[in-house]
Amino acid sequence: MKDTVQTTTGKRIILRKVKYDQDYIKRSTGEKVFNVCNIILMALLLVFLLYPVLNVLAISMSSETEVMAANVTFYPIGYNPQAYVTIFKDSELWRSILNSAIVAFGGCALSLIALCIAAYPLAYGQFYGKKLYSVIIMFTMWFQGGIVPLFLTIQNLGLYDSLWALILNGLISAYNVVIIRSYFNSIPFSVVESARIDGANDFTILFRLIIPLSKPVIATVALWVIVGHWNDYMNPLILISSTKNHTLQLKLKSLVLAAESSTSNLTTLSQTTAHKGVAALSTQVKNAVLVVSMIPMISIYPFIQRYFISGVMLGAVKG
Amino acid sequence: MSTVAKKTKDTVFNSSSMRKRVFNNIWLNRYIYMMVVPVLIYMVLFKYLPMYFLRASLYDFKLLKGFEGSKFVGLKWFERMLSSPELWRYIRNTLTLNSLSLLICFPMPMIFALLLNEVRNKPYKKIVQTVSYMPHFISTVVLVSMINNILSPSLGTLAKIYKLLGKTPINFLSNPDYFYGINIVSGVWQTVGWNAIIYISAISSIDQTLYEAARIDGANRWKQTLYVTIPGVLPTFVLLLIMQIGQMLNCVFDKIYLLQNTLNLQVSEMLPTYIYKVGIESQKYGLATAGGLFNSVLSVILVLIANSISKKVSEISLF
Repeated sequence: MKDTVQTTTGKRIILRKVKYDQDYIKRSTGEKVFNVCNIILMALLLVFLLYPVLNVLAISMSSETEVMAANVTFYPIGYNPQAYVTIFKDSELWRSILNSAIVAFGGCALSLIALCIAAYPLAYGQFYGKKLYSVIIMFTMWFQGGIVPLFLTIQNLGLYDSLWALILNGLISAYNVVIIRSYFNSIPFSVVESARIDGANDFTILFRLIIPLSKPVIATVALWVIVGHWNDYMNPLILISSTKNHTLQLKLKSLVLAAESSTSNLTTLSQTTAHKGVAALSTQVKNAVLVVSMIPMISIYPFIQRYFISGVMLGAVKG
Repeated sequence: MSTVAKKTKDTVFNSSSMRKRVFNNIWLNRYIYMMVVPVLIYMVLFKYLPMYFLRASLYDFKLLKGFEGSKFVGLKWFERMLSSPELWRYIRNTLTLNSLSLLICFPMPMIFALLLNEVRNKPYKKIVQTVSYMPHFISTVVLVSMINNILSPSLGTLAKIYKLLGKTPINFLSNPDYFYGINIVSGVWQTVGWNAIIYISAISSIDQTLYEAARIDGANRWKQTLYVTIPGVLPTFVLLLIMQIGQMLNCVFDKIYLLQNTLNLQVSEMLPTYIYKVGIESQKYGLATAGGLFNSVLSVILVLIANSISKKVSEISLF
């Protein structure tokens, strides 16, 4: 393998790279055995990771008799998409999906604006009280009120049982502020300084200059916020009560895990649901609901994973 | 910032020029203050007001009466908490689960990263890696539903396997002996890929010349892993280990709460779930707030200890 490298003086030097990979060095038997074992081990891991998801997908599309006989494993038997037709008509489910989408995407948009506005003074401001401002934000990373005080606060602010409670509660998290600030800090300060000399005010600098330069970190944090809101169960559980404001995860819990979590007994499940006057859902419908709830996140993550990975690294490097 | 403070101290007698300077600074930073003030208002309302409501732990707090109408009870709730044998059982449950998870869940990502690093087939490696991130995007409610699917004594895959082997299926979910096991296995499923990201990047940042030198010294692949790769990821491992120990008293509310049922409560009840039940469901706000405060103070102390140790060990800290 040959590689050319341009040196500082402009000369091109030819480097000879020796490829030490499997093509050149004879592998020992032990190594061969290890390679095979490793590939098999990774395949087993793939099965372990994928099986639960495929199982849900398969059950949702199989026929009633096969599901009841526990024959369905990772592929559908007796293909029957009836469950999806059933949930397509369920307006309450769609309502909860809409609620989750409002919280996830609306919350994300507001969160990003708020986070950038919170991070900008920390990165570029030279103002009285900066130290205090920083401490006020950082302290919340160490210590928070907890479940019940949060509930009491939201009650007192009159936000209980509204989607605003979920959006506002997660608006600014100290951790995200730190991540964004450290990215802002990596932008040369001269950019801000020269814009200030040109007479731009700080809002113009932030929205016209800094935010366009910070797309990678904004994308990362945006995805964190969206996935966080979409998959959140605890906050809606505490802050939302009426059915019309239920988010998807609350709806899922009431549809799929209704009685199982308290008794995990199928006979009592049908008894309690019958008692409440709600028709017991078939196993296929439950699994179809799970599939629908997973689709948005699972279908986008392979395309956006690099932002997530860079985010994990940002968090680690920040120190 | 500090130079500004010094200057103002020097000119403290020349009050008119000092006032001018302060005013100038504020005027120059007027847009910065326009950013700072709304953020501070938000922080006070949504992060510090909950801390104010920790005061409820000293009252027999009633939501509609507020602090004025509620009866002041002093440290009654704290006394009740600390004298209750239940409290220590909840803490013991949390510690048991977290110790098991530290032993089993925690090293898995590093092992996975090391093995993945040895996979020579690039596309296969990429597929394994991408699939391993998937569980990170699946919500706890869906995860628990999947667990119910697979472990269900009548419809689950595991029951099917038991039947094929000629054994009677076990109801894993209602048997307290299996609660920690279910938690750990699903914990591995959730975190093995995602938490490996940081190790994978640590491996990729190891200087390639070290491997070349090792090869020249006659090290085979196993020796290279043992003497180059593992020492390369060990600092990351130690740092994450210390941080993990700092999280010993925290537990994931969603998962514990959703996996709970009346039969496994003896081992599955932990402080956060107990606080939720007492505080939000039974509306004993005072007692629950006291419990929550106790829990957060304990965990903050633990985090601080872990943080100071990691500062000494690696000069990198969480905050």
